[in-house]
Amino acid sequence: MDKAINEIWKSSLPGGGFANRPGGQYRPDATAWAIIALQLCGVEGQRLHFARQRLAASQLEDGRVVLSADQPGSFWPTPLAAMAWHKSPEFTHSESRAASFLLKMTGNHFKRTAASPAGHDTAIKGWPWTEDTHSWVEPTSLAMIALRVTGCGGDKRIAEGVRLLLDRQLSRGGWNYGNTTVFGTELAALPESTGLALAALPGLADKRDVSRSIARLKDTIKTLTTPFSLGWAILGLSAWGERPRDANALIDRCLKRQDRYGAYDTSLIGLMIVARKAEGGLIHAFS
Amino acid sequence: MLFRDRDRLDLPHLETLFRASAISRRDLVFRLLPRGLFTLLSLPILQSCMRSEPSSEAFVAKVPRYGADIRSAILSGFRELGVRSDEIKGKTILLKPNLVETRVDAPHINTHPGVIRAAIEAFRNLGASRIIVAEGSGHCRDTLRLLEETGIMDVLAEDRIPFVDLNHDDIYTVPNAGGHSRLKTLTLPLTLQKVDWIVSMAKLKTHHWAGVTLSMKNLFGLMPGSCYGWPKNILHHAGIEDCILDINATVRPHFAIVDGIVGMEGDGPIMGSPKEAGVIVMGRNLPAVDATCTRIMGIDPKRVHYLADSSGRLGAIREENIRQRGEPLSSVRTPFALIDKIPAQKKLLSP
Repeated sequence: MDKAINEIWKSSLPGGGFANRPGGQYRPDATAWAIIALQLCGVEGQRLHFARQRLAASQLEDGRVVLSADQPGSFWPTPLAAMAWHKSPEFTHSESRAASFLLKMTGNHFKRTAASPAGHDTAIKGWPWTEDTHSWVEPTSLAMIALRVTGCGGDKRIAEGVRLLLDRQLSRGGWNYGNTTVFGTELAALPESTGLALAALPGLADKRDVSRSIARLKDTIKTLTTPFSLGWAILGLSAWGERPRDANALIDRCLKRQDRYGAYDTSLIGLMIVARKAEGGLIHAFS
Repeated sequence: MLFRDRDRLDLPHLETLFRASAISRRDLVFRLLPRGLFTLLSLPILQSCMRSEPSSEAFVAKVPRYGADIRSAILSGFRELGVRSDEIKGKTILLKPNLVETRVDAPHINTHPGVIRAAIEAFRNLGASRIIVAEGSGHCRDTLRLLEETGIMDVLAEDRIPFVDLNHDDIYTVPNAGGHSRLKTLTLPLTLQKVDWIVSMAKLKTHHWAGVTLSMKNLFGLMPGSCYGWPKNILHHAGIEDCILDINATVRPHFAIVDGIVGMEGDGPIMGSPKEAGVIVMGRNLPAVDATCTRIMGIDPKRVHYLADSSGRLGAIREENIRQRGEPLSSVRTPFALIDKIPAQKKLLSP
């Protein structure tokens, strides 16, 4: 883990915060992942404080945290930022504004008609990646996790998020980015989406309702070698007490595969560290 | 929708007609032209017939299987199309494959690694100093997994080719040079500013929203998901076909190589069936390449709205304006199945 932590620091920026790559532009998502990962490793101090401060500078008046000032609609880093501020008393206000924004923000929703090519219930409200677009599985899961971490788990939006995720679950188990069927054909599950949805649902859904997805992910995880899918698959299974016994070995092997893939982005290294440390799932890691 | 909104009409050639004539536009519009005819003239098919097109070229090679000598086919295409060493030597080339998702039973979803390897070797043969493979997949957020499971990672590792995940690249914003959609600007990955040539390495496929997905639609994958979401919903909401035109007009790609050795018919771009067409289609002008591809698929390119709209603006789609190099179209025509319950494909069916 020490090596991974050092790799994260290589992307830190002089003005605070992190880029996805050494020498790259500031990225709020990379910054949030770096903070969460370093915090779980017991790292604290001024550099982390500056990173949180930089993240706070990306927050707009309504609480959203945006990719960049000229991309105000790209608010998907907001849940990550809320988690990065959590446990830091100086940033309680930023965290609470982010949570308020998430509670107000919803995707575009509409009543499903008989002629709709999509198989899911398009009226259930969740969260989109970007403003004025439909709600999808990953941003909905991330928003639910962040709201639960920040103490808003009892809000009705969480209950509706559960409905959305269960509605979007594929009949054979697992989730893809958010469609179930299109023009009558069921789409394929993606391990990263499945892991994220499972990470959001413990304590909110009955295990029997997601057992097919857990089984499917347990089967798939053996084949995963890349950090994004593996990280979320481990976090999803860990959240349900199904963490693979060799999870840490899988993570170490995945980190070594940078020899093959090239250096991972800061966000991916952060995710790997979090998957290693959060043995009871992401939400549990903040409790 | 067959008819487009009036506020999105783009009739530059009618403007030219008005200016050249003695009658006023007001007279023509309100006294002479019946309203129905005005609406009819808004059809992309008719607009494309009225615009003049530059002449262009497209090259078709017969390649019966992925184990064949694809590199030689691409080099033949370069020769026929006048792509020479003095144009490529010392240049940085970005190859943009079509990587969507992986399923064990569906290798025909993605550009085949054998075609990517052949293109790498062919550009190296002409003296390219650096080759990059880059993609920003539309809905699968784990691009490394896509590379691994398609076998493309093996090619990149063996040939020491860097890969850039365009979904998470640094970004820059430029005015939308197309003006077809409501988007005023487009945000692009910074890598595009670091390369000399952008090559769209598409797959020959039908598509359930756009009718067909070829070299022009493949450029959706240049657009960073960090700004446009997954799937690239902002582009969907702004109109897929309009955004195809906007991206092509703004990025101005340099070349296209379409993998049609095994394409996809029916419910593309993911759930359709494999279709052996046994071709590689190449060219400098993407509308001309895509129009040639659609003719191979048994589809009239004028029925594909974004191709009809690209006519005269971004290139040529009329058969008489595309000099066909390599194999004659008649020898490679392989009709692709279309599904009439899918509106975007139903409109492609001949009446």
